[in-house]
Amino acid sequence: MSFLVPAFAALAALALVPIAIHLFGRPRAERRVFPALAFLRASDRKTATQRRVRDVLLLLARAAVIALVPLLLAKPFVERPSDALAGLGATESAVIVVDDSRSMGYVLDGKQLVDRAKEEARRIVLGLGRSSEAAVLLTSKGSLAPASDLTSDRDRLTAAVAGIAPTQRTGDTGSALRRAVALLASANHPARRVYLVSDLAAHSVAGDLASVFPAGGPTLTTVDVTHGRALGNRAVTAVRVDAAPELGPHGVRVDAEIVNFDDKPASAVAVTLRLDGKAVAAGLVDVPARGRVVKRFLHTFRAPADSKPSAPGATHDGSVEIAGGDGLADDDRRFFRADEKKSVRVLVVDGDPRTQRRDDEVWYVETALHPGDLDDFQFDVRVLSPDELTRAAVDASDVLLLCNIKAPDAERIAFTRRLLARGGGLFLSLGSNVDPDAWNAAFGDLLPQPLAGLRTVGATRDGRDDGELAQAGVGERVDRIDRRHAILEPFAGRAQGGSADEGLREARVSRYALLKPGAGDRRVLLALEGGAPLLVEGRVGEGRVLLLTTTVDRDWSDLAIQPAFLPLVQQVVRYLASAPRADGEAGALVSGVRSVEVGEGETAIAVTSPSGKQALALDGERVQGRRSVECAATGEPGVYHVSAAREGGSLSPRPARDFAVNVDPAESDLAPIPPAQLAALTRPPASTDTSEPPRRRVELWHALGLALLALLVLEGLLGARRS
Amino acid sequence: MAAELLDAKELARLGDLKLRARIVVEGALAGLHRSPHHGASVEFAEHKEYTPGDEVRRIDWKAYGKFDKYYVKRFEEETELRGYLCVDCSASMGYAGEGVSKLAYASLLAASLAYLLLSQQDQAGLVAFADTIRAYLPPRARAGQLGDLETALTKLTASGTTDLVRAVSYVSDVARPRSLIVIMSDMLSSGAETVALLRGLRARQHDVVLLHILDGDELRMPPARFDGPARFVDPEAEADELLADPRFARASYLESIGAFIAGLRSACAEGGVEYHVADTARPPSETLLELLRGRVRAKPMSARR
Repeated sequence: MSFLVPAFAALAALALVPIAIHLFGRPRAERRVFPALAFLRASDRKTATQRRVRDVLLLLARAAVIALVPLLLAKPFVERPSDALAGLGATESAVIVVDDSRSMGYVLDGKQLVDRAKEEARRIVLGLGRSSEAAVLLTSKGSLAPASDLTSDRDRLTAAVAGIAPTQRTGDTGSALRRAVALLASANHPARRVYLVSDLAAHSVAGDLASVFPAGGPTLTTVDVTHGRALGNRAVTAVRVDAAPELGPHGVRVDAEIVNFDDKPASAVAVTLRLDGKAVAAGLVDVPARGRVVKRFLHTFRAPADSKPSAPGATHDGSVEIAGGDGLADDDRRFFRADEKKSVRVLVVDGDPRTQRRDDEVWYVETALHPGDLDDFQFDVRVLSPDELTRAAVDASDVLLLCNIKAPDAERIAFTRRLLARGGGLFLSLGSNVDPDAWNAAFGDLLPQPLAGLRTVGATRDGRDDGELAQAGVGERVDRIDRRHAILEPFAGRAQGGSADEGLREARVSRYALLKPGAGDRRVLLALEGGAPLLVEGRVGEGRVLLLTTTVDRDWSDLAIQPAFLPLVQQVVRYLASAPRADGEAGALVSGVRSVEVGEGETAIAVTSPSGKQALALDGERVQGRRSVECAATGEPGVYHVSAAREGGSLSPRPARDFAVNVDPAESDLAPIPPAQLAALTRPPASTDTSEPPRRRVELWHALGLALLALLVLEGLLGARRS
Repeated sequence: MAAELLDAKELARLGDLKLRARIVVEGALAGLHRSPHHGASVEFAEHKEYTPGDEVRRIDWKAYGKFDKYYVKRFEEETELRGYLCVDCSASMGYAGEGVSKLAYASLLAASLAYLLLSQQDQAGLVAFADTIRAYLPPRARAGQLGDLETALTKLTASGTTDLVRAVSYVSDVARPRSLIVIMSDMLSSGAETVALLRGLRARQHDVVLLHILDGDELRMPPARFDGPARFVDPEAEADELLADPRFARASYLESIGAFIAGLRSACAEGGVEYHVADTARPPSETLLELLRGRVRAKPMSARR
């Protein structure tokens, strides 16, 4: 035992004073004659032992009390072998990166990993050398650093650590470590270190992190809060909702992907489908170790009141849940929105019909809307030639696709405008039949932006039917994708693996139209490498207009043969028709920014979180005239409900715009980083002397204080009884 | 305050033992509502109708005049009572707590009893004992007997050990049958054989009274006086010393002394020995009154049979 103030410890010798008084200074007992001595002796014999013990205890208690007071003031401590990190305690500049991603919500032995991480981070803070400085960063995307600059203020650092709370967000350890290294670039001490307190799950440190820590730079010390234990987990990683025509027009098919991230197989896992809060179906699945299964539910929507099928187009909040039993409960449930089937009437005008269907201008579009292997009722497609385009045909359609047509006459423009006025959609694609000037003149303000002319940047097949290229060149790729737009949301996630944009970026465009600056409101959804817009949205009244600046067949681009083409066309048509999505998975991830569409004439919009809190409330000029607003308060998984109001009206639900927010399934896999990869990342700090094991100081004054209190109580009791 | 309520300490200031004894006796008898001056050695008992054989001289002619029948006066048979007042004067009897010593208290009680006996024309004698018989005055009913008793009692000093067996044996030898034997002792050195001897006296048709003289300290061990550790010494064996703290031992001590008294009382009751605890803190007249009341309930002070 050692003392911070040893001088006080010497005063503990005062404990000998009461003993000395007892031994040498006690008064001589009075001599008394007492005839009934025999009885007194017998009585004394009975109590003597008890009294003697009590006297000794009292003496010791008093001596101990006298000794403890100076010992307390001397601040005693002992040093114990510590399981603290090697090198901790040296003077250094450090950044403590604490993993607060969703996977840290895993409950291990009754305690969340994030709480363990906080304890470890606190230990690091308290164990830092006297002159060390440190900062505290978090790994989750969108998190704010609790202590973003280097400071020596221990109180601030411990408070920052104490304030860390578990989140549902996705972790981005790489970015956090890069920020940490950047922060240490301006550190005061030559010894610089990054402490990563994490579950060290492989997903959290994906990518090339070795380059983050170059030789001579800061070192990385990892603290595994799982202590190497395998963390089993099961999760619902994806839910897909499709129409089930075999069940009738109100049937849906819900496919839930259940993944077992454990090394042991999971048998008889209960899976439950809930719609509008009610469990409507359940089943059991066996999931192999490190494997996945898809549980399919079939359901027919019925109105609760009369047990008749509900109205087409109705929306439902749904979720698929699996029975718990693992340490991470957040991913045992996945939310979706299920929209009942609503057929979209699509009128396609083929501006360049061919006898060979494959060479037809609209063959790819038609095929995308009616995939051959699916009996899909979502789209009711009708193909006409430009001459067959009549008012009746347009009036009977929700969406009009004008593909490579010559500039229409005024009458056709008029009933196209009527279509837009009643909320319909217009899609325009270019081709060899398009004369930019004539289009500008004919369509006028229906175009999001006037056409400026055509630009050829690669090989095209114009005029050839044999599939050969008429010119040479590689064309331009799609470079910019507005993933916040409803059409392109399905291309945003990487949850199901594979390419995020499903070939969208692989498409090469050889010829396209350049656009003049437009006066109206427009939004570029896709842009090419050169910056030219590829897909532009405009608004006309209640209607929506999309302009593709190239062809929808393979003449000017190979977009039509990319995997992304089919979902893109379907999304475009649904969007133009304001039709609901069939894919319930196309929601947002927790804490992501969700774009919420603003309807024409709407002046207020509100978004309610699954727990009923207001996630977004905008009105006035922040809504008016805008096509969409962004909702960033999506920290809670579940279905968010959208309400909107027009001028002078009150907020009313807009179920078509409701959206589901789910946790990132990437966080569900808690498989640890391979040891070799971890070893490559971490190396001991140069200043660490590994010959001496780290020791930690254990202060004893708390225990001594308690002992002093206990002794005072004991002394009081003994003294009271004695007197 | 009436004289009869004076305690032994106050009485001791009066000096003359004979006077003190008279005060004590008068106080006690006042409590009994009976004066020694109204008593007679020959007391009328009852009238009995005359039958042949009765002495003619006993016929109550006044009754004949009233009832025209012969009645014979019957009287208590008069027997001269011999009282042996045995006083323990061992060293332990010299203990005086807050009042007078046990020996002084016993002497006063002895003198009072002698005064009472002699007042009734009975005989009173004295046996003072410790380890030996210190003094012996044979029972007499003469006028100077009280003075002799006072002189002998005044000369007594507390010393030596107690040999109650010897004392009882001595009394047993010298006492004529049917005597009143009053033993005044603290009984601290007595054993079972003492009670057996007392029962032996009773068997010889003696009327045996044991006045157990104890000081208030011995009976109650007042915390105010026994407030710390002390070396306690037995006055009859001064080498015997005990370092004790009465604050711890008090409860157990009181339990022990209470059990001792209860045991003596029980043994005496079984043997027909009258037993009284004489607390020196009490006025002697109260002790005497308790003794007289006990005897009145059982039988008259004078042994009339």
